[in-house]
Amino acid sequence: MFKNMLKRSWLSIKRKLGRTIILTLIFFMMANLVLAAFIIKSAVSAQMDYAKSNLGGTVSIQADMETIRDNQKEDIEKGGDPSEMFKNMARPSIDVKTANEIATSYTSYIKDYSYEVSASANSYNLEVVETKGPSMSGMGMPGGFGFGKESSDDDSTLDSDITISGINAYAYIDGVANETITIKEGEYFDEDSADAAMISYEFAELNSLKVGDTFKIKNIYTENSVKLTVIGIYDSSEARANANTIYMNTETAAKFLSTDDYNDGNYDVDNVNFYMTNSDLADEFVDKINTEFTELADENLKVAVDTSEYDRVASSIESVGGFANTILIIVIVAAVIIVTLIVSINVKDRRYEIGVLMSLGASKKNIIGQIITELLIVGTLGFVLASVTGTIFAGTLGNAILDSQTASSNEQSEKNFGRPGSMSGMPSPMGGSSSSRGSAPSMPDMSDDSNMKDIMKAGRDSEIVELDINARPEDYLLLFVTGYLVIILALIIPSVNIMRYQPKEILTGKE
Amino acid sequence: MNSKKNTLTIENLSYAYENGDRKQKVLNDINATFESGKIYAIVGESGSGKTTFLSLISALDELQDGDIKYNNKSLRKITGQEFRLKYVNIVFQSYNLIKYMTAAENVEVASDFDNRKADPNKYLASVGITAEEGKRLVGRLSGGQQQRVAIARALASNSPIIMADEPTGNLDEDTEDKIIDIFRDLAHKDNKIVIIVTHSRQVAKRADKVLTLRRGHLA
Repeated sequence: MFKNMLKRSWLSIKRKLGRTIILTLIFFMMANLVLAAFIIKSAVSAQMDYAKSNLGGTVSIQADMETIRDNQKEDIEKGGDPSEMFKNMARPSIDVKTANEIATSYTSYIKDYSYEVSASANSYNLEVVETKGPSMSGMGMPGGFGFGKESSDDDSTLDSDITISGINAYAYIDGVANETITIKEGEYFDEDSADAAMISYEFAELNSLKVGDTFKIKNIYTENSVKLTVIGIYDSSEARANANTIYMNTETAAKFLSTDDYNDGNYDVDNVNFYMTNSDLADEFVDKINTEFTELADENLKVAVDTSEYDRVASSIESVGGFANTILIIVIVAAVIIVTLIVSINVKDRRYEIGVLMSLGASKKNIIGQIITELLIVGTLGFVLASVTGTIFAGTLGNAILDSQTASSNEQSEKNFGRPGSMSGMPSPMGGSSSSRGSAPSMPDMSDDSNMKDIMKAGRDSEIVELDINARPEDYLLLFVTGYLVIILALIIPSVNIMRYQPKEILTGKE
Repeated sequence: MNSKKNTLTIENLSYAYENGDRKQKVLNDINATFESGKIYAIVGESGSGKTTFLSLISALDELQDGDIKYNNKSLRKITGQEFRLKYVNIVFQSYNLIKYMTAAENVEVASDFDNRKADPNKYLASVGITAEEGKRLVGRLSGGQQQRVAIARALASNSPIIMADEPTGNLDEDTEDKIIDIFRDLAHKDNKIVIIVTHSRQVAKRADKVLTLRRGHLA
C-alpha cells in the first residue's frame, strides 16, 4: 500500500510540475535561510569560544590610584606638606618573586603572563644615536608619571643615554605586537638568552656592530660595565622610536638597576599582566589573588580585570548570533504559514481527487499520507539544493551582518573614545608602552613561543572581519529536522480539513 | 461466470435532512433486495431522494435509520470506508477521474487500497479502450472514453456491487447504448449487482428491473 501511495505521490509531483516548482523554490529559499541561520549560529559559537580563549582578558596588577589619592588627602588634612609628600612618594610596585608566585600558583587560569624591568645605562665608549624630540620608549622609563621617587638614588643627576627595556619575551614588545619593529638581522632573544641584546639598526651602524659582536655599557648607579652580545638587530618604522633603546630579557635588564633596586634578585617589576585562558575565569582569578596575596593591597596595588577586548568582540558576534536566531524564527513561522496556505489551497483544489480516493476505499490517513509524502519529496529536493548553496549564502549573509555590527561597534567606539574599536596589542594598564614577560619558573607552556605569538596575534586581530563559515554535519541535520517539522506543522490545518471531508458532499457536488 | 447469488438488502431505510428546526424526510422506511446478475434502474423525479439513496447504499453517507446488508453482513458493523473498499464501487455522471493520471493509472488506483495488482489494460480493453488510449492523460479523452475509464476503474476494484449515478447523463445516444451494454455485461457476465440511478428512459428500458422512488418510498 505504501508503494502505491509513493507512486501516486510521485505522479502528482511529476505531472503537476508548476506546483512542484513553486513548492521546491519555497522550500529551497526557506532551507537556505534556515541553514544559513544554523551555520551562522555555529560560526558564532565557535568564534565566541575562540574569543574566550584567545581574548580571554587580562588581569593586571596596577597602582590603586583611588586609595593613593585618599591617603594623600588624609595626610594633607592632617597637616602634611603636599610638595614633600609628592617628592617622597614611591610608585607602588610588585617584586618579581611575588609576580612569579602568582603566575605559578594559578596555571589553570592563565596561559601566559608578562612584566617589565626598565632601566637606563651609560654608553661608555660607544656612540649613541641623536634623538629628536621626546622618544616613545622614554614613557616606560623609571620615574614615570605621578610619582616623585622611583629609585633609591636621584636619577636626574646620573648620566644616561641608553634606554634598557627588559622584556623576557620579544612578543610582548609593543613594537613587535603592532608590527612596527621587525628583526633585520639575527634573531629575537628569549628568557634564556643571558646577556643578549637586541639593538637598533641605527645604533648598530653607528658603532659597526654585527650580530655576534659584544659591547659594554655601564650601570649608571654602580658604574659597573655589563658585557652584552648582539643577538639581533631590529628596525623600527615608528618615527619617534628611540634608536638607543636596547631590548633584552628581564634578568639581563636587572643588572642595570641600582643595588637597592636589584634587592638581591628580588627586584620590582612593572606592567604585570596575566593573560587569562578564558574571560569567564577572570573574576575568580582576581578573587583568588586578593585572598592569597593580601600584601598587594598594603602596597597600594590593586588587581584589575580588563576584558574589554573580549567584550567588544563578543558583543559584535553575539549580535550576529541574535540576528541569526531572529532570522530562524521568522523564516520558520513564515514557512509554516506559506506552506500551510499552499497546501490548503492545494487540498481544496484536489478535493475531487480526495473524494474519488475515498470512494475507492482509501482511508483519510492514507490520503493525508500521500500529501505528506509529496511534500516530503519536494521538501527534500529543496533542502538538498539548499545544502549546496546554503554555505555560500550563510557566508554572505553572516559577514554582511558582521560588517554592519562591526561598523556600528566602531562608530560607537569612536564616539566614546575618539578612535576605532580595533585596538592593537594587549592592554598596558600601568601606563607603560611596553611590557615584558616574566621569567617563568616551571610554568607549563609558558616558554612556548607560539603561545605568546597567539596571544599577541589575538590582540592584533581581535577585530573579527570575517566569520569562519563552515557547515558541520549537525547543521545539515538540523536543517532537515527543522524542514520536516515545518512540513508537519504546515499540514495540521489541511489535514483537519481533509478529516472533515465527507465523500458524499464532494462527489455528489453538494458541498 | 460466477453464478453464486449475492444480495444487497435494504431494511427499513429512512433518512431526513435538517431543515431549520424541523426534519425533512427524504427516504421513508425503504425495503428492497438487489441480487447479483441483475441490472437495476432507479428512477424518480428530481428531489425524490435518488442521490441520497445512492449515497447511503454506497456508504458515502452515514445511516440514520434502518440497515444495509451485503450477504447479511451489516454496514453498521463495519466502517463506510471498509464497505466501499470491499463491496461497492461508484461510477459518477462527471466521471470523477484523477486529472493528472493517465487512463491506465486511473484504473490502477482502484486496486491501490486492497493490495491487489490489477492489470489496467485488461479492464480498459473490456470497456473498449485500447492500450494506446490508456497511456493518455484522461483530460485528452472524449466524454464517452472517460466514462468507460470510470467503469473500468469500477471493474478493477473487484467490487461485487457497482453503483452508477446518471452514468450516461453527459453522453450522446450511441455512446449511451455502448455504456449500457457494458453495465449489462457487468451484471450478466460478471455476476455483479448493478444499480443505476438515472433519468434516462433508454437506460431504464434496458435494465432488468426498474424501481421508482416517489415521496420517499421505493416501488
